Amino acid sequence: MRLILLLSGFLLLAGCSDDTTNQGFAGLAETADASEYLQPRPGDTLVFPEDYGPHPQHRIEWWYLTANLKTGDGKPVGLQWTQFRQAIQPRSPEIPSPEPGSWTLDAAWMAHAAISLGGEHRFAEKLARGDVGHAGAEPEPLRVWLDNWQLRQQKPGVWHLSVHAREWGYDLTLTINGDPVAHGDRGFSAKSASGEGSMYFSLVDIALEGQITLGEQIVPVSGKGWFDREWSSQLLKTGQQGWDWFALHLDSGDKLMGFQLREEEGGFKSGTWLPADGEPVPLSPDALELKPEEFRHGHPVRWRLQVHGYGVDVSVKARPGNYLNMGQFPYWESPVDVDGSHSGVGYMELTGYARDGAKD
Amino acid sequence: MNPFLAQILHYRRHPFQLLALVIMILVATMLWSAVSQLTAQARTSMGQSEQALGTRYQVQRADGQPVTVEDFVTLRRDGACVMPWLEVDSSTRAGRIVGIDPLSVACLADDTVPGALQGSPLDGQPFMDIGEAASLARTEPEAAERLYLIGADSISPANLPQGYRLTDFSTGPETGELGESFLLNLDALAVLVLLITALLLRSVHQLGMAQRRASFALLFRYGVTHSSIRLGLFLETLTLALVCVLPGVALGLWLANGLAGGFGQAMASLFDTPVYAGQGNHWLSIALVMAGVVLGVCLLDELAPRLTSVSDNLKQRQVPIAAGVLVLGLGLVWAGKSLPVVFLAVGLVFLGAGFLAPGMVAGIARWWARSATDPLNLWQYAELDVLARRLAFPLVALQFALALVLAVQALVTVFESTFDDWLSQRLAADYYVEVPPSADATSAASWLASRPDLIEPGAWHRVVRGRAALALPEQGKSQGIDVFSVGPVSDMLHQWRFLDAIDAPWAAFSRGEGLMVNEQLAMREAVSVGDTLSLAWGDQTVTLSVLAIYADYGRPAGEVLLPMDRLPETFSATFESLSVSLAAARLHELERGLKTVWQVEDVVIRDNGRIKTLAHEVFDQTFLLTRLITFVTLLLAAVSLLIMGWVFFSTRAWYYQLLTVWGLGQREVTFRLARLAVGLTGGIVLLALPLGIWLTWVLVHRINPVAFGWSLPMAVYPGFWLELGVLSLLIGLSIAGLMRWQLRHAHSRPLSASDVTGGER
Amino acid sequence: MPDVALQASGLSKQFISGGEPVPVFCGVSLLLKAGESLALMGRSGSGKSTLLNLLCGLERPDEGEIWVGGHRVGAAGDSPKEQPGQWAGLRRQSLGVVFQDANLMPALTLLENVRLRASLAGQPDGQGPEWLNRLGLAGLEHRYPDQVSGGQRQRAALAMVFAMQPEVILADEPTGSLDRHTADEVADQLFRLQQETGCALVLATHDPELAARCGQRLDLAHPGRQSDCQ
Repeated sequence: MRLILLLSGFLLLAGCSDDTTNQGFAGLAETADASEYLQPRPGDTLVFPEDYGPHPQHRIEWWYLTANLKTGDGKPVGLQWTQFRQAIQPRSPEIPSPEPGSWTLDAAWMAHAAISLGGEHRFAEKLARGDVGHAGAEPEPLRVWLDNWQLRQQKPGVWHLSVHAREWGYDLTLTINGDPVAHGDRGFSAKSASGEGSMYFSLVDIALEGQITLGEQIVPVSGKGWFDREWSSQLLKTGQQGWDWFALHLDSGDKLMGFQLREEEGGFKSGTWLPADGEPVPLSPDALELKPEEFRHGHPVRWRLQVHGYGVDVSVKARPGNYLNMGQFPYWESPVDVDGSHSGVGYMELTGYARDGAKD
Repeated sequence: MNPFLAQILHYRRHPFQLLALVIMILVATMLWSAVSQLTAQARTSMGQSEQALGTRYQVQRADGQPVTVEDFVTLRRDGACVMPWLEVDSSTRAGRIVGIDPLSVACLADDTVPGALQGSPLDGQPFMDIGEAASLARTEPEAAERLYLIGADSISPANLPQGYRLTDFSTGPETGELGESFLLNLDALAVLVLLITALLLRSVHQLGMAQRRASFALLFRYGVTHSSIRLGLFLETLTLALVCVLPGVALGLWLANGLAGGFGQAMASLFDTPVYAGQGNHWLSIALVMAGVVLGVCLLDELAPRLTSVSDNLKQRQVPIAAGVLVLGLGLVWAGKSLPVVFLAVGLVFLGAGFLAPGMVAGIARWWARSATDPLNLWQYAELDVLARRLAFPLVALQFALALVLAVQALVTVFESTFDDWLSQRLAADYYVEVPPSADATSAASWLASRPDLIEPGAWHRVVRGRAALALPEQGKSQGIDVFSVGPVSDMLHQWRFLDAIDAPWAAFSRGEGLMVNEQLAMREAVSVGDTLSLAWGDQTVTLSVLAIYADYGRPAGEVLLPMDRLPETFSATFESLSVSLAAARLHELERGLKTVWQVEDVVIRDNGRIKTLAHEVFDQTFLLTRLITFVTLLLAAVSLLIMGWVFFSTRAWYYQLLTVWGLGQREVTFRLARLAVGLTGGIVLLALPLGIWLTWVLVHRINPVAFGWSLPMAVYPGFWLELGVLSLLIGLSIAGLMRWQLRHAHSRPLSASDVTGGER
Repeated sequence: MPDVALQASGLSKQFISGGEPVPVFCGVSLLLKAGESLALMGRSGSGKSTLLNLLCGLERPDEGEIWVGGHRVGAAGDSPKEQPGQWAGLRRQSLGVVFQDANLMPALTLLENVRLRASLAGQPDGQGPEWLNRLGLAGLEHRYPDQVSGGQRQRAALAMVFAMQPEVILADEPTGSLDRHTADEVADQLFRLQQETGCALVLATHDPELAARCGQRLDLAHPGRQSDCQ
């Protein structure tokens, strides 16, 4: 499960506003008009390499990388890069893209980048309209870009990511190990008991190496990362307020992706258990247990996480600091440390919490 | 009943007096707070916009081709923060539309979002989403579109990709310091409004006090001490001030904010000064100043009796002292080198004039009375003498208000015409053509010269701008100045206004015999016509004599105007253009020709007429507001004189009744009253005229040069004097009308001959 | 009857107060020949001033007629439009009115006041100093009204009236605001000059001594006794 942002903030700017107050976090519970947008259904499957590229018939999608890195002297560094596409008009494959000079606004792009180091969290956001050319995505060879931020395949299995914010940035080489992992039912990841869901796959074993730039300072870093692709036209069911999402690299070599969508009463849980050896296992809702144990800036920053049947009973905790991404829609995106039955590192994303935390 | 209550109960007997005082404080506060709020708001936002806006840049292609969406993508992909700005001239919609991309503004937000865009709805006035603007341009065959790429402040030429360059970008006429100058004059206006309202307040208050002195004397006889009477008065005035000033300030701010819509729009589009400063919260200072004024003018006599006795002494020598103050002020205005001194001097002149004016009307009346042979005329002039002295305060207020209105009217008209001149000077041609960076303007000039059938000789000229070093031998150094070069000398240049020039300066200029300098440079470096100036570019030097000094409103920079053929070959132009005047129908022919000559696909031709129209619309709005404020001031002064005149006439009503008793017919009495009242107001207009003209002169010729180093032309508008004369006639006739009504409806008769308010002379 | 200076018959006047007519007096008649004097007696509010106002045309009677110098000028039924001009001419030339005080224009000197009044009456204004002199104001000609005493002001008022050479003088408590001694002096001068010039005098007063010096006496009813008017 990954963050989806309806870019209603800038759609509002562009004069395409809708009232988004009752449509869940970032308007994601907005009902998709089935006649216009394609909605993923159980039974849909993944197609490679096309699914690395954009899906203009779907309302929302993203390319999402998080990484737990270390500097040369062993200090932990958290890193995020995300690019979102938000359609304003669905477009069938047979319709050609409008020419750039028409400045058509059928889709908008938004990119987020963040570096977390020593308790400090840096975040930047960029926006662009689709079809003009300064933002876009292509599946083969993979290329996702917005202005001078770009994820690009250098050669099969080796990608390059570069981001230049005003006073910081990064240049990283990503070595992709293993095949894409399809979540849920062959890639269809249910988001409620009533059938809402998304197409969702991940690359869970990525080795990163490169440098981050902080002002004048250049710091070499290396570590491991997690890459998500997800697309849908309606992700949240009406009444779902937000979600808590975890992607963990356990020292045992096992990996775990788990999330819950919060509702007034209970919610919807799901996940994937990725053993060090063997095939990924979808987790049924009752196999996963999540309990918040400590709050910071209005957000639950320490959790007790259990996976029944796999002996996982761990405490997942955000490092000290405020990891709110203060963009169009503030949300929490932090590196975490894992203790308990297993140890490890990972990333946690929390959305739809009271905005008062945003002020800290 | 305590003495304080006894004091206050005066108003039970005279509720009208209290009402007049309350209204006067309320309206005065409203007026003053509105004016100062507007000025402060405009000033704050101007400061903000200067900070925020700085210089605005656009990125152009080095090869002179127009930028396209591909260039936008290239620049963005390279990390340059540029924003598309698509101007569409629509034939079906009024005016220009600017398409912008709100999504790309996000990168500018860190730097600078153009002030005009901040908070603008994308409703097509003029901004709309760039997609809609583009589709509009494409659906209309007549519409012309042009893309600009606006750059953030963070962009420098060094970090632009190869093939691009950075140039200035402006969306409207640049008015330089004209805006600042206008604000300064608005400040002066606010101070004068305060002065006038203070006078009015004092006159209304004094009226009541004259009647209350008897009751105070009575209270004193009953054993109430002077100090407790004064305390009572202080408390009463303080209460009155508190009760009236705050709502007055609120009303003023409300008025200001109501007006600020139009005003802000005017400032925003004209001076690049968006009024987004919002509600400057200086209401407290406005309220405090006004409360201070109320307390000051009402209680001066009571709280500082010593001062009153001093002023009584002064009254003996009022005329020489006032004349001395007037002369001192006039001298200071002439000699003053700093703004505070000039402002002080203006204050002194007003003070002197204020003290002299009623005395002068009275003196003239006395003089007439002395030479009158008919006893009835003698009576009339003697009565005018009394009136002028008794109504001194409201009369002086009216005089000041009239002078103010006169000055503001002249100033505003001067600003308008100056702006017009300035636009005409800078935008003399119907169109101007930007010379693309890759193109050679000389070839275009030869082509134009070879096409008299298309464009007449004298209807176009070339403009080249750049920099040079001006040698200052006396100081042993040199100074960088702007160079403005034209050639050939077209008819359009003959519109330029010279402050000083040799005979036939343009003829000498076209022969390359000399150069011209702008007023700023002439003032700063004390350059006069006939002096010789040396300009240097590296090791190349040109030495020429000064043929003329030209007015160059609102620009802080010193500039020389150089004949084109005296420019050195190595001169590097920062800007080149062609100014052309020709029929719109032949514009396309010109455009095609220039495209061929320059071998480019696109030529930028600006319609100066449109810029002028836009500028004028905007100016009209701003000046309308200024005129409105001054006119309300005048109205206030007039109404106050009307009230005071009526009240005072009422105390004299018995004596006018005597005329009837002595056998004068109703009609003749009315006629006499009308002559009296009109004589009074007319006299004040006559005295206000020189003051107003002088104030105009000070504003344009003294304050502006001292503040900014350039002067505005001086102009007088006798037609407007006539309007003011008619207004004063109306005020006078209204007073007479009220009197006539009163004489018919009441048999007023003083109770005793010593009645303080009627039997004075 | 060329000798008759002022005649009135059956004069009535009422005011409207609170919507109700309140009679001031009714059926008043009088006849004065040149050189005669009439004292108008009555308490405050009995209508003395009102009757004087009727006699000089400043107010109109509800009933009755007035003759000045043998000409009928004011009758209740006359067209109001004709009257003002007629009355104004009479006041200008024939009817001299003296009030209790404030008879002088404050902006003019005593002499200028006298000259103004005389010139309005069409009399040569060169006699001003002489009239002031006859009233004991020699040397005060160029003083303003507020620079002389109350008695001097009233004497100046008399000088003004006599300077116009009126047929009738209507004096409303001319000494009312003066002390006894001054009042007597002013009254002496009034009667002396009236005899000398031969004009008629109507003197409204509540002073019996002063009234006794007049040849005729007219008592106005007590304001309470309105039953007379029924």
